[in-house]
Amino acid sequence: MSDCAVQLSGVSKTYAHFALRGIDLEVPYGTVLGLIGRNGAGKSTLLRILMGLVRADAGCVTVLGRDMPGDERWIKARVGFVSEDMALYGAATLAWHMRLVRDMHVGWDQARALDLLDRFHLDPDQPVRGLSRGQQVKALLLLAMARHADVLVLDEPTAGLDPLVRHEILTLLASSRSERRALIFSSHYGDDVATLADNVAFMHDGRLITYAPVGELLSGGRSLEKVFLEQVSATECRRAA
Amino acid sequence: MNVKNIARLVRKDCWLMRWPLAAYILAAAAGLAMTLSGGSVARSAGITLAFNVLIGVSFHVMLGPVLGERERKTLAFVMSLPVTPKDAAVAKLVAAFALFVIPATIAASTLVWLSPIDIPAAMAAAHRPLWSHLLGMLGYYALVLGAWMVFFSVVLGAAIISESVGWTIGVLTGVLFVFGNFVMQILPTLHGLRPYLRTLARGQAALPVTIACEAAGIAAIVAIVLTMQQRKTSFV
Repeated sequence: MSDCAVQLSGVSKTYAHFALRGIDLEVPYGTVLGLIGRNGAGKSTLLRILMGLVRADAGCVTVLGRDMPGDERWIKARVGFVSEDMALYGAATLAWHMRLVRDMHVGWDQARALDLLDRFHLDPDQPVRGLSRGQQVKALLLLAMARHADVLVLDEPTAGLDPLVRHEILTLLASSRSERRALIFSSHYGDDVATLADNVAFMHDGRLITYAPVGELLSGGRSLEKVFLEQVSATECRRAA
Repeated sequence: MNVKNIARLVRKDCWLMRWPLAAYILAAAAGLAMTLSGGSVARSAGITLAFNVLIGVSFHVMLGPVLGERERKTLAFVMSLPVTPKDAAVAKLVAAFALFVIPATIAASTLVWLSPIDIPAAMAAAHRPLWSHLLGMLGYYALVLGAWMVFFSVVLGAAIISESVGWTIGVLTGVLFVFGNFVMQILPTLHGLRPYLRTLARGQAALPVTIACEAAGIAAIVAIVLTMQQRKTSFV
């Protein structure tokens, strides 16, 4: 068995005004990968390809040793996904969503779900439309994490949240690290990535411009944002030359 | 396909639509009751209500469970569950038909009653066994309901394939125009079709042929939807 939970090789996707170009990426088990990029850099497209929500035009996507989209159902049963572009049904309660997810996932752990409910102070009987944005993100995380997913894919989970909720979510993610699990998350916040990630990937204009351990990039006391801006600037200069 | 997960998605849509569904069933039943009451005003109002239910439930199913998923961002949640795009499309088709069929059947009953022939009197005068009348009524039901199911399938197919409110309303309007003008007004006046329509009215061979054509039309639309879904490259 490969020691990589996720492997992407030469993944490309072209839209009318945007293209993801030849992405190669490996995420080993037990590691956390942080994706940083501007809006429209291709982070969400990449994560959607990984989850089978968008089909790549070219390249290979392997998750937990299986081919995406060939083994899509098998992979989705073992991968938790939360995106800022994702919502729950407003008219239904969190308890209803929990039953729906439990019925469709063999790995659902009710004790873990109840623990997360308690930890997040969520009322399972409240309709989702009455939850704040932060509570909705917590509810989505609960649904993704209560089934012991082998891979967690989080697309800007902390976007637009207040610092307290952000901290709560980052603490939960940090505590849920496991040698058998890989975590991939995209964020605009360099601090979040620096706190949580082992490796970081910078994306710019549909390309992966940097992939390195966080510690390596932070040497010299620089912030991830600063390193990112330098890398983007260097890429632009190379392209202009 | 994973039948269990498809069934769960269908149950989900039916549960989320339970109150509108109840309202449409009540309205369709009220329309039927008014038509049965016999008064010309009540009958006319009942028929109008039946048409409103058919159009309303069609719109509601398209805009709610089918197109609304993307707009409300719940589609990403559904697609993150262990289902393939084909599973999701089959679930949408089944859920949409399931939500449509009960109010549509009641509304179709009203339209069956709309027949210019006094059906109970004609049945009594025919001196035929009861099973023969029941079979005839069932055939007539199937014909009327089948026509609406074809209409509904075309719009549903447009909604699932295009995922666009504009295209769906365009197709709905177009089909209503074609149905209202061509099928109801022009088709019966065509010389070549008159004998066929006469045999259809008498419930002869033309009736099962027409019902079979309606069923084949629905099956073809479902097949086109599933084929187009397979060719899509984005599902959120």
